[in-house]
Amino acid sequence: MQREESVVIQVRDLYYTYPGGVEALRGVNLEVYQGEVLAIMGENGAGKTTLIKHFNGILRPTRGQVLVKGIDTRQASVAELSKIVGFVFQNPDHQLFADTVYEEVAFALRNFGYPEHVIENRVRWALNLMDLWKYRSKSPFSLSEGEKKRLTIASVLAYDPEIIVLDEPTAGQDYLQKEKISETINLLRLMNKTVVMVTHDVEFVTEHVDRVAVMTKGRILAVGPPQRVLCDTQLLRESRLVPPQLIKLSLILRRHNILNEQEYEWRADKLALKLVKILESDTNGGPSGI
Amino acid sequence: MRDVHLEVDAGEFILLVGPSGCGKSTFARVLNGLIPHFYGGELTGEVEVCGMDPREHPTYEFAECVGFVFQNPENQLFFTSVERELAFGLENLGLPREEISRRVEQALREYQLAELRDRSPYELSGGQQQRLAIASVMVMQPKVLVLDEPTANLDPFTAMRILALVRRKTLEERVAAIVIEHRLEVALPFATRMVVMVGGRIVDDGRPVEVVARQKHVVGRLHALELVEHLAQAGFSLEVEKPSPEHVALSIVKAYRVSRLAARRKRSDPG
Amino acid sequence: MEALRAFRFKRENTVIDKADPRVRALLSASLAALSLYAQSVEKHLMVILTVLAVAAVARRLRKLAGVVKAALPLSAVIFALNWLVGSRTDLVQPLVLALRFLALSASLSLFFMTTSPDELSLMLESMRLPREYSMLVTMSFRFVPTLALDVEAVMHALQSRGLELERGSITRRVKNYLYLMVPLIVYEVRRSLMAAEALEARGFGSPRKPTRYRELRAKGSDYLFVVLLAVYVALFLAL
Repeated sequence: MQREESVVIQVRDLYYTYPGGVEALRGVNLEVYQGEVLAIMGENGAGKTTLIKHFNGILRPTRGQVLVKGIDTRQASVAELSKIVGFVFQNPDHQLFADTVYEEVAFALRNFGYPEHVIENRVRWALNLMDLWKYRSKSPFSLSEGEKKRLTIASVLAYDPEIIVLDEPTAGQDYLQKEKISETINLLRLMNKTVVMVTHDVEFVTEHVDRVAVMTKGRILAVGPPQRVLCDTQLLRESRLVPPQLIKLSLILRRHNILNEQEYEWRADKLALKLVKILESDTNGGPSGI
Repeated sequence: MRDVHLEVDAGEFILLVGPSGCGKSTFARVLNGLIPHFYGGELTGEVEVCGMDPREHPTYEFAECVGFVFQNPENQLFFTSVERELAFGLENLGLPREEISRRVEQALREYQLAELRDRSPYELSGGQQQRLAIASVMVMQPKVLVLDEPTANLDPFTAMRILALVRRKTLEERVAAIVIEHRLEVALPFATRMVVMVGGRIVDDGRPVEVVARQKHVVGRLHALELVEHLAQAGFSLEVEKPSPEHVALSIVKAYRVSRLAARRKRSDPG
Repeated sequence: MEALRAFRFKRENTVIDKADPRVRALLSASLAALSLYAQSVEKHLMVILTVLAVAAVARRLRKLAGVVKAALPLSAVIFALNWLVGSRTDLVQPLVLALRFLALSASLSLFFMTTSPDELSLMLESMRLPREYSMLVTMSFRFVPTLALDVEAVMHALQSRGLELERGSITRRVKNYLYLMVPLIVYEVRRSLMAAEALEARGFGSPRKPTRYRELRAKGSDYLFVVLLAVYVALFLAL
């Protein structure tokens, strides 16, 4: 990686049991590097959301340790950790409360003690970024679902945390909304933010993400670049992950000896080129492409 | 909604898609009378569902014929036992106790809820909850099943299993299913027909493979189908039955085999 | 929050659980009535011990003991207040009142611990309460754990935007908790609208009277319980 590889979040031997007795995390170890975009994937109940809730102190370890920029999460309050780790929740409706969109975004800045003129600049910047400045005097409840989602992202970006955690950013979003979120992630990358997202969307992941951590039953099975992790059939089966479409397709072609592993492609156009070559070489009666 | 024309037959699995706010949820709620009764508003035109006009019949009269499954299972499971939940709709229909009992037992078996019969929905996983919601509605033996983003809170693996269940029911019981979903890769393989709505209007209606190709700028693209298009541009046209990676892969395998066979024949018979 | 747990139902397989819920209601109501009637410390202790004994049979002794323990502080306050207000020499009256509070809490929670919300609504319906009202009761119970999760979700969401709920002065923190109100209320109102929609879609609201899948039917053992209870009450009053 070209970026500086300093660790911003360190998870050491993390165990977490919910008050009802459910053991959600069983010995998780993970390092999150500065500037990377990391996706955490796995079936529902694998522990993904439980894990990320440890990153800003919402949950505290039953055993083990979580360090955020060197700070032990047990030693700081959620509000304090949130200055460093901005958390965008899946459901915007759980947090909207202000009279106006402006006030909604200003809330965090006020809590963190920024002076008023700085707040004004930051709010304007964040709302413009998310294309919501025109709604600044409207009630947050009057926005559409997609706009509400962008509002929660704006509320977090406004106070410029170093690390941004997103819980299922594309869930329930239509195609255009997903494109907007793609743009936002790219933007965050350009701003050199560290991004951690929990998601089910494999297609989204292959386009935007540096590393993928696959979880199942409270453990991390594997961490690595999506090209490696999402092609591993054993891993996919164990974690009950649905692979990206073209990988699924390539795996079937491999079983029929039409492709080999080196020829897996993520993009439709590149894969088409490979397949054309293979199909053409046969039609001409020449040696098969494999 | 504006100027909407749609006819649905028994046994169809219609995937209804469109950007947020396009009117698909509104449309769905006309089918059992929630519009106009629960939501108010003005409904004009000809509407007939199971032979009834929603303007002239209250929602509870549609319950026997139209089953509606909502997005969030939490808000459509009202009791603290699975068994009770299944019986609820049937009690509302006024069925005799023996009939209720028979249907509940059958549903517990068919939807794999038998071991969970005493559990509270709180103790069930998201997938189990949604299965229960579907079962509670199907137990009333509707002719139409409407599902408004039924898999929104589920992971893709579970989502596909739920939709496969719905598909099976459309085949077994000739139920017409109308499914609203955003994730094409999850839902499209099960659909017999795809309808796209934009701005309150229906802009496309037809075979899923074709509609997706025409509407990608609205509904997004399926990588497997993109591949088919690229191959077609290079001169290799494939016949794809269903828009799933498995079907596309198998079409490619078929094409490959055919071409190898032709090549072998050419080599062995030059004259 | 812990106090709420006392009222949470969990299924067990004891003879108490198998009894008709009306019998259990009768038991708890009788014990509560006896407690209100009794004037002596001994009689109140007898009530409390009876509740504990029944709880033991129902294999919920530890839970019930937990409820009694949780009620002790308030009970102590009742004792203290009555002692201060009344004649300072008389300790018996304040003690009786404090014990009465414990006895009432214990007998009430015994009922809820052993009765599922569904049984409760069946019981209410058998007493001729219309379906809409018994469903109010059932659904309230059904949604309590869900509501608790929503409160947590809102709390976490606002804390993550810098709302300090863990540190600082008590007055500051109480004021901060008020921020939870708006999102929570909006969220729950929406939830209730969605539930209403779903209820209608399932045929609720028809003027036709719904049939009942489950009927409560008293067994021989239930009548036996009632007889035993009557004997107990008689002895209690006689002593």
